[in-house]
Amino acid sequence: MTDTQWETYEVFHQTKKGDAHIHVGSVHAPDPQMALQLARDQFARRLKCTSLWVVPSRSVTITDYQDENFFAQTTDKSYRDPKTFGAPDKLDPHAD
Amino acid sequence: MPIDFPSHLPRAAIEKLLLAMADDELILGHRDSEWTGHAPILEEDIAFSNIAQDEIGHSLVWFTLLQELTGQTPDEMGFERDWSNFTCCRFVAYPRGDFAYSVVRQFLFDEAEKVRLEALRHCPYAPMKEAAGKILREEAYHVMHCRGLIERLGKGTPESHERMHTAIDTAFPQALGMFEVLEEEEKLVEAGIFSGHTMLQAEWLKAIHPILTDATLSLPIERTDSRITVRCVPDAGGRRHSHTEHLKHLVDDLQQVYRSIPNTNW
Repeated sequence: MTDTQWETYEVFHQTKKGDAHIHVGSVHAPDPQMALQLARDQFARRLKCTSLWVVPSRSVTITDYQDENFFAQTTDKSYRDPKTFGAPDKLDPHAD
Repeated sequence: MPIDFPSHLPRAAIEKLLLAMADDELILGHRDSEWTGHAPILEEDIAFSNIAQDEIGHSLVWFTLLQELTGQTPDEMGFERDWSNFTCCRFVAYPRGDFAYSVVRQFLFDEAEKVRLEALRHCPYAPMKEAAGKILREEAYHVMHCRGLIERLGKGTPESHERMHTAIDTAFPQALGMFEVLEEEEKLVEAGIFSGHTMLQAEWLKAIHPILTDATLSLPIERTDSRITVRCVPDAGGRRHSHTEHLKHLVDDLQQVYRSIPNTNW
């Protein structure tokens, strides 16, 4: 069966300049420029937005859900977890 | 709320211009909203619904300015007025047709709106000038969206090209009705409100012709270096209350809920 839909683009949304772009969904579009416009209509109308990225979905390389070993922790590596000290939410760049 | 109106400006003529613009936006906004849930692509469904809301928002801007002059509220104008008193052009009231027709209509309308708003940005009536600037900011994205679709569908598949071609043949004479000269328009030109609809039409043709040509779509016009001559009869009359029955059905639909319970606080 032929897919008559346009290809999909993954949409990344930024709320404030300097913040990370967060994946919010995807749109069908014939090309990147239209994808940006359609993403604007769908994801930036109500949410505050300072920047949008669109990426062709086919450009995203993904892991395979079947390959559970990819993420497996088979031996005890708890010594790597930062459990004994707290990390501040924000780092002070001027601290020594 | 009545305001201090500058006495040197032609008040009645300004009211007619405001009403024509408000009616065009309201009626086209309603037609665009008919695509909600029916557009061929989900994303375009949302985009068209978005445009519909924008156009109705623009009509509210113009109706609000009109209210300052006449005292009639936007609700009265939109929901209580008889369809025969609307002054929209016939173009905006035609049924939505296929998606190609709606895209072409939106393109021709937005390009005309852009030309008119740019003219009004220099208008001596301050509230109109400010409103034009505000609406233009939003309109820029309608124009971008429509130009994108015109190019892609014009040069897309043989079917999309054919449908766009048919849509333009139907829509172009209707679109010329947007530039029907208003009653007392000469007073607006004299007062420097804008240069008049004949001039706007010429600017509009200059803007749309290269875009359509680039999209391999043609218009029934002849172009020389200095001027463009239209080779078809404009479908005008709306500004003088000569409407098609399509407007009646649309206004019935638009006012049905409001009229079902008169004097309710919505």
